Amino acid sequence: MSHSLHRYGTVEQLQNDYTFYARTSRYVNREGCGPKLRAILQILLEDKQVNNFGSSHSGKSYVAGLNPEEYALTLDKAYGVAACFSDKEAIRPILKKLKEADTGISIVISGLIDEIVKIAKELDLRPHTAFLSLGIHGKKALLPEGRVLEITTMCGHGQVATRLTRAVAERVKAGKMTPEAGAHLLAQPCPCGIFNTTRCTDILEAWRQQPATAPTAVERPGA
Amino acid sequence: MRIDSDKCMGCMECADLCPMECIVERDGVGYIEEDDCVECGVCLRAGLCPNDALYMPEESSRYPRVIRAQFSDPGVSHPAMNQGGRGTEEMKTNDVTGRFRRGEFGMALEFGRPGIGTRFTEIEKVLGVLVTMGVELEENNPVFLLVADPKTGSLKPEVLSEKVLSAILEFKIRQEQLEEVVRKLSPVLAEVDTVVSWGLATRFAEDGTLPVRARLEALGVPARPNGKINMGMGRPIVEP
Repeated sequence: MSHSLHRYGTVEQLQNDYTFYARTSRYVNREGCGPKLRAILQILLEDKQVNNFGSSHSGKSYVAGLNPEEYALTLDKAYGVAACFSDKEAIRPILKKLKEADTGISIVISGLIDEIVKIAKELDLRPHTAFLSLGIHGKKALLPEGRVLEITTMCGHGQVATRLTRAVAERVKAGKMTPEAGAHLLAQPCPCGIFNTTRCTDILEAWRQQPATAPTAVERPGA
Repeated sequence: MRIDSDKCMGCMECADLCPMECIVERDGVGYIEEDDCVECGVCLRAGLCPNDALYMPEESSRYPRVIRAQFSDPGVSHPAMNQGGRGTEEMKTNDVTGRFRRGEFGMALEFGRPGIGTRFTEIEKVLGVLVTMGVELEENNPVFLLVADPKTGSLKPEVLSEKVLSAILEFKIRQEQLEEVVRKLSPVLAEVDTVVSWGLATRFAEDGTLPVRARLEALGVPARPNGKINMGMGRPIVEP
């Protein structure tokens, strides 16, 4: 499950895209994890900066209608809680509170690596392990253009379709839908809560303002 | 997944939802190309169909077709993993499991991602090369459970033509194997009939740096600027 790895975009485009994962291990600390995961969820929600949250076991994310109280009740023996943020500064106070809470549950942050490491050092945390993306290989001619991938790769389980993305973008471009409504609609198929609607809104807004062009070499994934 | 042609009114609202683009119009109603359907369930879960024409037929839950949903629908638990998804805990819990130690790298090749899908024939092509390189395959991984012969990397013949949204090969190498593995894998990956998202898990060095990034750059497979960081907050911690 590497669902928050491989989010597509340049450094500039990824400035507003950070995901959070509290993960229990079935070999170490899943038994009795409910109160700890609920404490973590409370920390996530009380800062009110969370963009979206959920888990694949919940079947839907917060922006798709997940009720936080009902969700909290499902966390006994769960493998974790996922969330996303559109501001890296939102990560800092949450990590600080989690350090003080010392739940012992593994915490993973996805996003721009150097920025995350910088925040960790400021909080006197020692990052343990990194998962690096070495890009997309194979038959890349099968891929859609970069701006579609910027949106679809925000669901690491691949539940957000290329055709839906293009259809929503066309409706936004035609003035039939706002970028915000388009982002909300595109977030629906992703159950884990890591589809960042703020980033998606920005991408759709930029898409609306740009003419359609064939993908360039620069836009091509892995180029 | 199927569409009941007696119930479908041909609005085709469900077609855009399909990640595999396999919902087509036929004789004025929607039709799902079953060989391309990965049973992800996105169309059904959306609840858009006013006539409830979409349904999961019994055949979808029979082996080998059932593996499609196990790899493609995050809400379906893999029977051997007791959790949804296509892979393992990998590095997310490495601070408490110690699965990847200093001196080792974890690797994950995710076939079909992003958004293209894959058949197991493509995975077998790469697995056949991997087993010649002395890598340590992750046995608690859904793909490994489909291996017929770990010595040759052959998969069970009945699953080869099954299509899934994505599937991950996970393995571990010693740090000194990195150059050999990358040089041998790169041309093989270039030949598969799908896309592969490649990931590498590594411990931070004692000084908090990631020295592997320079080696990957030199090998022509630079790490992207974004990745996943295990913050080292799990307890009890293994190899701080």
